[in-house]
Amino acid sequence: MDSDEDFDYYDAGDDEEDDLSLRDDADDDDEDEGYLDDNIIVSEAPHGSETKDEEVYPHECLSADRIVDLMVEILKEVNDIVNIPPTTLRILLAHFNWDKELLLEKYYEYDGNQERIFKEAHVVSPFKMKRSNKSRDVSCEICCSSCSSSFMTGLDCGHMFCKGCWSQYLRTKIMDEGMSQTIPCPAFDCEIIVDDAIVMSLISDKKVRLKYQHLMTNSFVECNSLLKWCPSPDCHHVIKVEYRDRRAVKCDCGREFCFECSESWHDPVLCVHLKKWLKKCDDDSETSNWISANTKECPKCQVTIEKDGGCNHVICRSQTCKHEFCWVCLGPWDPHGASWYNCNRYNADDAKKARDTQQRSREMLQRYLFYCNRYMNHLQSLKFEHKLYARVKRKMEEMQQLNMSWIEVQFLKKAVDVLCQCRQTLMYTYVFAFFLKRNNQLLLFEDNQADLEKATETLSEYLERDITTASIRDIKQKVQDKYRYCDSRRSVLLRHVHEGYDKEWWDYLD
Amino acid sequence: MSSIAATRVQRELKDINSEECSGQNIRIELMNDQFEHLKGEIIGPPGTPYQGGKFKLSIHIPETYPFNPPKVKFETKIWHPNISSVTGAICLDILKDQWAAALTLRTVLLSLQALLSAAEPDDPQDAVVAKQYKDNNSLFYKTAKFWAQIYAEAPGPTDTDCMDKLKKVTEMGFYRDPSLRALSSNSWNLADALDNIG
Repeated sequence: MDSDEDFDYYDAGDDEEDDLSLRDDADDDDEDEGYLDDNIIVSEAPHGSETKDEEVYPHECLSADRIVDLMVEILKEVNDIVNIPPTTLRILLAHFNWDKELLLEKYYEYDGNQERIFKEAHVVSPFKMKRSNKSRDVSCEICCSSCSSSFMTGLDCGHMFCKGCWSQYLRTKIMDEGMSQTIPCPAFDCEIIVDDAIVMSLISDKKVRLKYQHLMTNSFVECNSLLKWCPSPDCHHVIKVEYRDRRAVKCDCGREFCFECSESWHDPVLCVHLKKWLKKCDDDSETSNWISANTKECPKCQVTIEKDGGCNHVICRSQTCKHEFCWVCLGPWDPHGASWYNCNRYNADDAKKARDTQQRSREMLQRYLFYCNRYMNHLQSLKFEHKLYARVKRKMEEMQQLNMSWIEVQFLKKAVDVLCQCRQTLMYTYVFAFFLKRNNQLLLFEDNQADLEKATETLSEYLERDITTASIRDIKQKVQDKYRYCDSRRSVLLRHVHEGYDKEWWDYLD
Repeated sequence: MSSIAATRVQRELKDINSEECSGQNIRIELMNDQFEHLKGEIIGPPGTPYQGGKFKLSIHIPETYPFNPPKVKFETKIWHPNISSVTGAICLDILKDQWAAALTLRTVLLSLQALLSAAEPDDPQDAVVAKQYKDNNSLFYKTAKFWAQIYAEAPGPTDTDCMDKLKKVTEMGFYRDPSLRALSSNSWNLADALDNIG
């Protein structure tokens, strides 16, 4: 803990020692419960109340079965209030994105004119008189064969088709088009929606039924703003929250992600900026390096030009521009005359101006590359840390054979945990800074960032190298000190950013 | 091919051909004894530049017909905002998301005929044609009529100006189809057409 006074925004450095040593015992005991509890402890620390990150964000991880139960619960709840058949109610709820309050509100707002609500949801009102379809033999409009009326069926809109065609129709809609909550009646221009009871009665194929149920759950989750699928591949869990927010949630499968945007948890940067950043990286990262090395922009229309021949008399190919300029000084070609082979007009005014514009646009690119490189570095390191976990595990076993207890060696795993957290936070701090204009708060932020980065790298070095050479007692002290320092610096940095969000310190670039 | 699709198509063919003489000016025939590929023909409706033209359609019946729409495109070249002048692809809602299993080939052909009478330039398949349709409707009319006469045997005397220009371009060694498209897309300006012939 050397130079932290310079960087300390929250003045955490001084009381950190006591604070942390107080936690020491508790810390070791709870080790295997992960870092969630750690956050809670930090929030109890006397650092003030602006600790949004460290407040508990109540969420719950649901399995597929629990989702169905939840759906049934909502149906029941609403059905207790309004007396509508469950199949119709389900369509209504889907129409209102499973927002039961909104449904009830509308239902009573339209009091006396509830017909309208049913119409908007594309379902026939259950209070309407049913048409009697007890007619004789009829022909099915789809397969054009005549069947007995007992073999014909339809929705309340009265369009009747034979059961064979119905099941084929539903099969195509479910299997090929992936529809579930919004399958309409097969008749032309009829928008009445097929309810789940009919689907289940007409479809006997297990595969189709399963897919249908899966699609139903899926659309239930997608529609419901308090539910979100875990983004891990092949994880079928759903996270349920009490209220929607940009916060970290953790799935039972171990994946930690942002509830708002489903990306990996990206504190301190905002979802919008992260999205912009990821898109920019996808579009640009490789290309921009090449562009930077091989091209210049046309001084007039700024189109990017690659010179593929030796002559320095360049004519912009852009149809509307056709500007002629010198590749060397970027000034207009005219004053060069045909006889100049080498350009010696360095200080001509317009050439200078052209070079300035060029420089500005290159600076933008350089700036992006600066942030991108650092972001990528941490991303890369983070990917390598799983190797470190394996190595640390071996080391821990080794140490246990040297007469250390299981609890005593857990500090190593904890250290890698902290290292990964710090790398992840650092990674996103570069995205955060990329979108910001310079101001004093940003300078403070960058100091925090630099300090955390330096500490993180030292910790990483300890874990990578020294661990194999130094004596175990020594290293334990060193590593523990360092990871605690990193952890507290990380909290300081995040708190500063969050406070900035609350107090609107950050000026964004457009 | 599923049995529903085959029986449906058979049934539809019978219906259409029995109504053939009833003045609807549409026809469908089988290509072979498979029911996958059909040939259709519609006559250009009166009061349009397509009047009296015979427009051939290729109809592909998917395995899942009638639960999915048939794939229809124009074989005969046509100048129309909702039909590609290059590929014959059609932009029509009932051939896409508005398809319903209860619709038939007959209703499709009748809808296409209606599309010839009433184009939807705001929902174009061919942007060049649509732009001409909106900006210079009389030129569009002239061009569409000329195309119908060249490709679809529409009756009546052909526009001599158009004919001359087309002749001039083809005499330079270009093929007829790209020549006509270049002229039509460049407001029948000979020089522009020659610049942009593809």
